[in-house]
Amino acid sequence: MAKQMLIDAYRGKRTVSAPWVPYSGVHCAFLINEKANAFLQSPELLAKGVVYTAEKYKADGIPLLFDLSVEANSVGCDLKWWEDNVPSVSSHPCSDKTPEEAGLKIPTLDSGRWPQIWQAAKIAKPKLDALDCAMMGLVCGPLTLASHLAGVRIFTDVYKHPDFAHKVLKFAGEVCEAAAKFYIDMGCDIVAIVDPVASQIRDTTFREFVTPNCQATIKAIHDAGVTSSFFICGDCTKVIDEVCSLGTHGFAIDEQLNMNFIRDKALKAGLGFGGNLKLTLSLSLGLISPREDAIVSLAAGGSHGYTFAPG
Amino acid sequence: MAENKITVDVLTLDSVQCAACGYMMESMAAMPQEVQEIIEYKEWSIKNKTGIGKFMELKGKVLPSICIEGDIVFPSIIPQYEELIDEMIKRAKSPGLVEKLKLARDKGFQFDKVTENLKKAGAGLSTRNDS
Repeated sequence: MAKQMLIDAYRGKRTVSAPWVPYSGVHCAFLINEKANAFLQSPELLAKGVVYTAEKYKADGIPLLFDLSVEANSVGCDLKWWEDNVPSVSSHPCSDKTPEEAGLKIPTLDSGRWPQIWQAAKIAKPKLDALDCAMMGLVCGPLTLASHLAGVRIFTDVYKHPDFAHKVLKFAGEVCEAAAKFYIDMGCDIVAIVDPVASQIRDTTFREFVTPNCQATIKAIHDAGVTSSFFICGDCTKVIDEVCSLGTHGFAIDEQLNMNFIRDKALKAGLGFGGNLKLTLSLSLGLISPREDAIVSLAAGGSHGYTFAPG
Repeated sequence: MAENKITVDVLTLDSVQCAACGYMMESMAAMPQEVQEIIEYKEWSIKNKTGIGKFMELKGKVLPSICIEGDIVFPSIIPQYEELIDEMIKRAKSPGLVEKLKLARDKGFQFDKVTENLKKAGAGLSTRNDS
């Protein structure tokens, strides 16, 4: 396991080989025979699952948590819990009012599940350090958080009611910054902004609503000397140039993009990049040989700023 | 496909795990009641074989995607309310449906029955590879 090699790759530097990060999420719960809902609400189980998974998969880095409902829940969104999946957001406090009108406040370490996450980090961090494995904090990105707050209307509001959308996105960006600071204080070596729905909008919308609302978070991460990244899902071809100019040290994409295309974009921008083992076709369904899929990813990614990871 | 209903298929990874997939599904579930009465929509997760079959049948290319009457209309784009209504109007098979959709064009998304509507559409219920 090689934490520094991972940090170097995330910062776009050359490495001896490609470091590896499993975005294990609730798979950690499966590995320790626990239900996802129990795992995600218990500091002890969370730490146990993450450390066990890091060791089992010889990870160079591992997310402390991969659950994009944490920030929304900590400002008042209700959740629906599942035994085999992350919770889904089931209420949108800004579906008919702005964050201010809804009385939403920036979370503190006492809000929502932050106390449990803090406690889990305290248990996991020394154990991950002993394994030479980076602890990663994944923050829900501003557009995904805005969707949780306002519901699907936000994708209409960015065109029809931009003033309202700006208010929600601005608040989401501030929550994102607070969450990044929590993860920094927990000792995370890498903090990534995870904004999966940012691939579902046009590039102009990304520039107007996503880019500015990531800046305070990126600054907070960099001011603390921590490594930053931006994770995006789906077919993000139309916004990839915006992703490359956000200001993070790097980015990661999913299985729907061609790794050669991504590698060239990242190298040109001097950024780290990660992906893109086929999560569904290979790892979940086995329709493509995971071994061959891994070889394709590794061959395309190379050893200049590349991190081997699921997509 | 029924003449008096519009069929919408939402191709997803998993509307619980994937936020983009979740909001694609919500764009249908948050349609106002008068539209709910004239649409039939379902989540097809490619985590199971039935979903993969539907993805192939509709010639899906990216996830998530919204297909209306068999056409992939919103591939990796979460639509605006009016865009959804307009695309349904284009594919409505009777003047009655067109009229109802036009009347609903100014309504906007409504969130009071989203949970109930998502449940009806089977969202998140067939997202395991053994489901």
